Amino acid sequence: MAAFRRLGLLACTLLAAPLSFAADTPAPRDIWHGAMAMQYAELSDASERLEASAARFCQAPDESLRQRLENDWLSAYQAWQAVRFIQFGPVEQNSRGWQLQFWPDRKNLVGRKVNGWLKAPAAPDAQAIARDSVAIQGFPALEYLLYDDAMEDGRALSDPNACALMQAITTHLADTTSALHRDWQAFGEHYLDMSDYTETTLASAIQALEQLEDKRLGEPMGLKGAPANGYLAEAWRSEQSVRLVASSLEGLRTGFLPGLTALLREADALPLAEAFRDQLDKTLAQASEQPSGLVPALEYEEAFRGLQSLYLDISQLRHLLGNEIAAELGLMRGFNSSDGD
Amino acid sequence: MHRRQVLKVVLGSMVMALTPLSWALPAREEVDWLFSAVDDPRGGHFIAGVALDGKTRFMIEVPERCHGGCLRPDSRQAVLFARRPGTRMHVIDGDSRQLAHTIAAGEGYHFYGHGVFDQSGRYLYVTANRLADSAGLVRVYDAANDYAHVRDMPLDGIGPHELRLMPDGDTLVIGLGGIQTHPDYGRVKLNLATMAPALMLMDRHSGEILARHEPSHHQLSCRHLDVAADGTVIAGYQFEGPEWEAHPLICCLDADGQFSELALPEDVTASLQQYTASVAFSRVSANALVTAPRGNRVLLLDAAQGKLLANLELPDAAGARCDGNGGFLVSSGQGGLYRVSLNQASPKLLARLDMLWDNHLT
Repeated sequence: MAAFRRLGLLACTLLAAPLSFAADTPAPRDIWHGAMAMQYAELSDASERLEASAARFCQAPDESLRQRLENDWLSAYQAWQAVRFIQFGPVEQNSRGWQLQFWPDRKNLVGRKVNGWLKAPAAPDAQAIARDSVAIQGFPALEYLLYDDAMEDGRALSDPNACALMQAITTHLADTTSALHRDWQAFGEHYLDMSDYTETTLASAIQALEQLEDKRLGEPMGLKGAPANGYLAEAWRSEQSVRLVASSLEGLRTGFLPGLTALLREADALPLAEAFRDQLDKTLAQASEQPSGLVPALEYEEAFRGLQSLYLDISQLRHLLGNEIAAELGLMRGFNSSDGD
Repeated sequence: MHRRQVLKVVLGSMVMALTPLSWALPAREEVDWLFSAVDDPRGGHFIAGVALDGKTRFMIEVPERCHGGCLRPDSRQAVLFARRPGTRMHVIDGDSRQLAHTIAAGEGYHFYGHGVFDQSGRYLYVTANRLADSAGLVRVYDAANDYAHVRDMPLDGIGPHELRLMPDGDTLVIGLGGIQTHPDYGRVKLNLATMAPALMLMDRHSGEILARHEPSHHQLSCRHLDVAADGTVIAGYQFEGPEWEAHPLICCLDADGQFSELALPEDVTASLQQYTASVAFSRVSANALVTAPRGNRVLLLDAAQGKLLANLELPDAAGARCDGNGGFLVSSGQGGLYRVSLNQASPKLLARLDMLWDNHLT
């Protein structure tokens, strides 16, 4: 029954397709869906490269393969940051977003879960990882294996048990991101068909910027009423917190800005799109000038000032989208509709 | 569309003929409060008591975002509950406009945001999670004894949510959401693949489970409900599966105990965006109202016939309560308080407050 209905939707989409092609510019949701599909494809590809890299390292651990492994982990993690602003659709299935990145982790569940498996008599396979907690399923668990002090300067990772655990996680991660990409393509009919998704997409990007401002920078930097705490930053073990922020901003530029521009053009408000692009570029430049980690900047005044500038740039970007552009487009964001119970 | 409006006008004039135009609750000397969990615009958490004019009000700051509440019969007390994974419930005294008690769930437990009293107002039944084994419980507290914890009644399931007392005074009806959460993981839903939600009946004295009705899909989380005077129950679901699938979101347990799901038109179901919040019966007629904040809608239903009477737009439609005259009061997460009734083509804004109402009005 459900399959039949989806076929019906597909037929409608196919019939409607020539009309949208005939227009001068594609519709905003068409642009969004296509751009995001490419981002999900990149995430899936990068995750497969990571899985292969882990397998190579475990077969014959050496320093160059390890370096390659770290690079591949970071590339895949950055590809995930680029699509993190999409907080609806297939990524919500089975808490996939949490599976990829369980964060914040105030109780060090990632460390506890990894250590639990390291002490287990037998290493898990990808199915066992799939059945276990979100704390073991994603990038932070891999980061622990690659960077935590408990891993004895990197030698402990070549231990067969640790390597098998890492491989199981990378396989699960590759499975998840491949399914996510596939499901995003299937989701297209529905996304294009339902006009509500224009607002959903905007609200999702605003929420991502709020999270950047408040959670990913504000709280660890101590700007939210509590003292600074570097352990609240994501990727503190690898000192890549700011690098990941930059990847999320790049993801907005690639995946979100083109559709937003089309939408604002339709609304005869192209200057707002230009203002958003300029502020995004300024913020991106600011982010790329900072050291990749957040924790060291908490102790050096000059580095901290750089981070504060980034924080303010993100704040302005969030204001531009969440207030000015949202008001221009008549977007009303709910309290219960975004986080009810 | 046009025909539906005509139908509404006809129905509306019938209702008007039956009920007085005044919508205020029966007058008392004291102020009649609507209680609700609210956030202020800066994100602070409060319990608000708001008079029906929307002007008189008091606010009590609380450490966690609260959710639902219940009135204690024959008293001026109301109890409001922290939402998952919160650990406190707060007793509010409507006369003094003060916090009377705060009761903690205790180490190893958290609440789900709902509770209900027995008819005497002595025993309070609260849905809770026992973290050690994720067991869904109804915890019993004795209000006559400073809300001392009396006992726990397991539900043989995960994630109980709203509960109400059936008109017999002995049976609890409970929405079992089926979703496993743990405070260590914040609000992450941990078992979406293996959920087992249900609409349940439980003997409040013995804890015996009298009925367990399963929704038509295992990811239809049964959350909120209300009971009519004749024992008819309407409950609302939240679908945790793919948002491109359409499933029924409202179920009914009729006065004879027959369970069914309401077959609403497909476009209506789709417009709710997989999510219902409050359910409220009119105490005057067999009509019920369901809010859908994601879809920005309220539905008015004829519960006896299982039919949709009206489908109205209301932004971030959240809490709902009967107004005592056949209509309903509905709060919006964006601050508005509305009156909704069949004789109005659209919700009537009564007051706009500078706060964000959570999903329930008490």
